[in-house]
Amino acid sequence: MIGSPHPALRVSRRDWLRLSAAGVVAYSMSGWLESMAADAAGHPQRRRSCILLWMNGGPSQMDTFDLKPGHANGGTFREIATSVPGIKISEHLPKIARSMDRMAIIRSMKTKEGDHGRAAYLLRTGYLPLGSLEYPTLGSLVSKELGKEQAELPNFVSIAPSRLLSPAAYGSGFLGPSHAPLIVGETGYSFAQPQAANNYQEKLKVQDLASPAGVGPRRFDGRIDLLQNLDQDFASRHPGGAPQSHVAAYERAVRLMRMAAARAFNIDEEAPALRDAYGRNLFGQGCLLARRLVERGVPFVEVTLGAFDAGMQGWDTHQQNFDAVRRLSEVLDPAWATLMDDLRSRGLLDSTLIVWMGEFGRTPMINQQAGRDHFPNAWTTVLAGGGIRGGQVIGRTSPDGTKVEERPVTVPDFLATICRALGIDPLKQNQSNIGRPIRIVDKVAKPIVELLS
Amino acid sequence: MGRYRYEAVGLLIVTVASVSLHAVPPPPIKPSDKSADSAHDAQALATRIDQLIAERWSSRGIVPAPPADDSEFLRRVSLDLGGKIPRVWEVREFLNHPRPDKRERLVARLLDGPDYARHFTDFWRALFVPDSGEEQSRFLLPRFEAWLRQRLQDNIGYDRLVRDLLILPLATPRNQNVFFRINQGQPTPLAFYAANELKPENLGASTSRLFLGVKLECAQCHDHPFAKWSRKQFWQYAAFFSGLKAQSGIYGPVEDKADRREIQITGTNKTVQARMLDGTQPAWKPGVSARVTLAEWITNPDNPFFARAAVNRIWAQFFGIGLIEPVDEPSDQNPASHPELLDELAHQFAAHQFDLKFLIRAITTSRTYQSSSVGASSSPEERRLFSRMSVKGLSPEQLFDSLAQATGYRDFGRGNQPGFFGVVEPSPRREFLTRFASQDKRTQPQTSILQALLLMNGKFVADATSVDKSELLAAVIDAPFLGEPTERIETCYLATLSRKPRPDELARLLQYMQRKETKAALADVYWSLLNSSEFMLNH
Repeated sequence: MIGSPHPALRVSRRDWLRLSAAGVVAYSMSGWLESMAADAAGHPQRRRSCILLWMNGGPSQMDTFDLKPGHANGGTFREIATSVPGIKISEHLPKIARSMDRMAIIRSMKTKEGDHGRAAYLLRTGYLPLGSLEYPTLGSLVSKELGKEQAELPNFVSIAPSRLLSPAAYGSGFLGPSHAPLIVGETGYSFAQPQAANNYQEKLKVQDLASPAGVGPRRFDGRIDLLQNLDQDFASRHPGGAPQSHVAAYERAVRLMRMAAARAFNIDEEAPALRDAYGRNLFGQGCLLARRLVERGVPFVEVTLGAFDAGMQGWDTHQQNFDAVRRLSEVLDPAWATLMDDLRSRGLLDSTLIVWMGEFGRTPMINQQAGRDHFPNAWTTVLAGGGIRGGQVIGRTSPDGTKVEERPVTVPDFLATICRALGIDPLKQNQSNIGRPIRIVDKVAKPIVELLS
Repeated sequence: MGRYRYEAVGLLIVTVASVSLHAVPPPPIKPSDKSADSAHDAQALATRIDQLIAERWSSRGIVPAPPADDSEFLRRVSLDLGGKIPRVWEVREFLNHPRPDKRERLVARLLDGPDYARHFTDFWRALFVPDSGEEQSRFLLPRFEAWLRQRLQDNIGYDRLVRDLLILPLATPRNQNVFFRINQGQPTPLAFYAANELKPENLGASTSRLFLGVKLECAQCHDHPFAKWSRKQFWQYAAFFSGLKAQSGIYGPVEDKADRREIQITGTNKTVQARMLDGTQPAWKPGVSARVTLAEWITNPDNPFFARAAVNRIWAQFFGIGLIEPVDEPSDQNPASHPELLDELAHQFAAHQFDLKFLIRAITTSRTYQSSSVGASSSPEERRLFSRMSVKGLSPEQLFDSLAQATGYRDFGRGNQPGFFGVVEPSPRREFLTRFASQDKRTQPQTSILQALLLMNGKFVADATSVDKSELLAAVIDAPFLGEPTERIETCYLATLSRKPRPDELARLLQYMQRKETKAALADVYWSLLNSSEFMLNH
């Protein structure tokens, strides 16, 4: 009937019906659990995953991972020791300090963009916006390399992003919608909607996952049956990519609605004590959700801290930097530390790379409002977990924090290191929307090899 | 959002079995008021298109697809010219219309209607200022759209539109608050310059790609590997914009030195003088700025690049694939599929004062455009011979506006008005446009999971297909003149797919309706139609 080689259309009528409510158990046994087994923790063939902790607004390196106590630029925070002798970080990150043996701090990031939108685009795609070229964001690139087309969960989930100033930095660009993020808990698309502190429960659910009121499972089956007739008729008259893509997306969406996969988003299943440990806030629970997704084989999850929301400045601490960074650290520290512990106890830390970054750092000089401004010249990122040789610091800044004195790291260098840690060839080319092949990371990149395990 | 309502009246004014029940009389299909000469010339050009396309079929032994039937043509041309599907009564009227020239009349009516300027504003805007996330250009987009809309409504020549864009004065007047310039709210194409950061090299790359169909970007850093363009030529071209200097985009003061004509190649100490792309020395005139000189060269009817680039782009918009494909890369290695046709279209376009409606009318009244899209799988090479219409994706705007049309939705909210930071208030339309980000490859559109979930379960479609909330459904269910289930099903098909159900479909659906309560069953049918690939694609 349909002579198409596309896997989506090979789904027979019977398969579609198996996706229906009555068939959930049967299908989930054969599909879901099977793929779980192959991805089980510790399995040598387990693919790597990446969790990006995105610090929206640009976090202050001087008050987190590269303190300058005693210098006029140093500010009010003290340094504390970590589990690795000689490495010291902010006193407001005490829990994460205990996992320093699995973390590598890069104190010599040297980039050139000081505008939120452009810098976010640069850090998240590896390129600057250029004409009509639509570069894909890191999560989409990883989705393409490590994702499975037939996976029941999406290959890229973005938790609580704040796309306000740079929507294109979150898009799949020329890789197309099949690598676009599934977004949950989006904040800050409008300044008018204040984020209630305690509605994170609701926010972390996938939008539109449930049928509308009045449409029960049986009725939904009937609708899908009608839809399938229409789509098969159309595809048989119009062979080609567009109808196939439509069918494939619907099939995956219906699967997500019906299968155990959606349970991944149900963080109520977790023990209350563990939920407390992550922190009962959007970022903390977002990190917990990230673990649940990675556990189920999702290759890329990002969690944003510091949304521009309801007048909140996030990490963009032009005023009252120290109060703000302390408060943000108190959210970041338990969430990140618990994430590391939780992954480790489940045997997932070795296959999960954790990236901590924002779009730039902050000025070493403290301004008149006790704030710090945008600073791309010398700042800090952190890599942790799978693929990373922990317990080390890369690069060094000058005593006043204004210059990189040792081993400058560019955006391509940094992203190529992430790729290598995930087992991805950074020089691989993708076909772009303007017909020119584009490498995952620009070929000038030099991965930080001493950082890779 | 609760700020939308359904309006069923306009949708459902139905003429069942030729009984006229028009509460609102549909506007008559009549020829355009534009000069009869132009219409006649468009007809001649359409014939020429068909000749040149058919020659290649016969030389390659290709049997073209049959002509599209009336439903297929009506839906396609409504989407292509007006940006949305036709209303129920429009479908009925068109299908019942006996006149043999009804297709030409329909094209004329659509070109003269208000939706033409609206739809093509979306088209040109996406092309000129793609949403790259650049803050300043996003803030200015609504005013860029207003600027385009004005020109499309007046149907000014494409050459003048481009010239107006290229020669826009940019210097900040003395003592003027820079916020004044961007906040006064008048239509302006400033977003184009903001998107290109007012940088000569960006403007050079964009304008050569858009208006000359030549992609020079690669030559910015090195000689082009596949084409004849050298790095030096790129910078010579960029030098026409070298008078512009801006510290912080359009928010800061902008300097616009009209007489500057040279530029230093980035990363070298070499300086080059402005030169046209074909290597000719610019015809400098006293008191005429470099940008004006460039604009005059670009939009000159004798310019070998300008008209060809424009007609190729428009052709690609209607056929999903250009005569030169990719559209921006003409070179010896990438010749046009039909060089004679490209030349002829370009020549006629220039000879008719770059009248966009003339060109579009010729294309859409051609037999080639009116081929059916139904058929067996074809190779990429065959697709370039245009023996069958390709299946194209809908732009996010086309999809939303078609959904609105099919469901009788009217946006009473602020819609597209920008607020703080150029951020648009959430509205159902905005939500759609965000989730259905524009796609460049229109013949390879892809659907995402989120998009599917939004369409299956989102509030918009849910309300439109709810028996309690949807006025359209209520009207279909309660309309006394729709006696039989057959007629109710047919109305749902006309409202969504712009065609009547085929006999096998009708039989299947009648059976479905017997098993269930009528209202709910009809809502199910309507839901499946709105979610179908046939609804979401242009074919």
